[in-house]
Amino acid sequence: MEFTTTEHKNCHVIAVSGRIDSYTSPKIEEELKSLFSEGHCNIVIDFSDVTYLSSSGMLVFINAEKKCRLKDQGRVLLSRVPPQILSSLKLAGFDQIFEITPDIPAAINRF
Amino acid sequence: MATRRFPANFKSLALISDFVVDLAEKADFSANETYAIQTAVDEACSNIIDHAYGGENKGEIEVNVIQIRNGIQIVLRDEGEPFDPSDIPDPDITSPLETRKERGLGVFFMRNLMDKVIFEFSNRKGNTLTLVKYKGG
Repeated sequence: MEFTTTEHKNCHVIAVSGRIDSYTSPKIEEELKSLFSEGHCNIVIDFSDVTYLSSSGMLVFINAEKKCRLKDQGRVLLSRVPPQILSSLKLAGFDQIFEITPDIPAAINRF
Repeated sequence: MATRRFPANFKSLALISDFVVDLAEKADFSANETYAIQTAVDEACSNIIDHAYGGENKGEIEVNVIQIRNGIQIVLRDEGEPFDPSDIPDPDITSPLETRKERGLGVFFMRNLMDKVIFEFSNRKGNTLTLVKYKGG
């Protein structure tokens, strides 16, 4: 798993590639913590190159979104989610919690 | 079809997935079904590491994959403490984020994505978790 974080005017886009599982999800968690600690709470996760998302990976994004709502500051958007990962998110009911956009410009424009 | 043993650590999860996905594809499962099998096996192995062994590198996970009539059977064995997934209640997936408890999500995926999830424990063999998926099931 690799990721690249790009700063935009009103948000940060984290483009992730590969598997997000119990081994790799702590690395994404660290990146989110680091952005939050710098006051950057508007986050877009670009899933287009993600091949697998486990429940532990989902929990990293859920916990980040929880933090945003508790602070009433920022939020986490999911974008370009592959169909099989979207099915898993729906099965867990997370499509009702996250805003999911089909492309990155649409996600960036939400902030 | 094949049996392999992996060190029970999170780094093994990608290797276990590769092993199982390759065999599911050879058994002509659809991409969606193969992803479901990958998810169930990954969640089961994460639980074995976390709950049966209580952490990484405490033992091994044996993964045995057999093609059965119109499907695939995956048997996961470990020598950790008894961990029965059926003891874990489903999370309430409809509750709002602020009050939602996520414990049990991995087991929830296993139950919902596979056609059979069977747990057995013996003092001699340890935990045996059998996962069955039928094509089109």
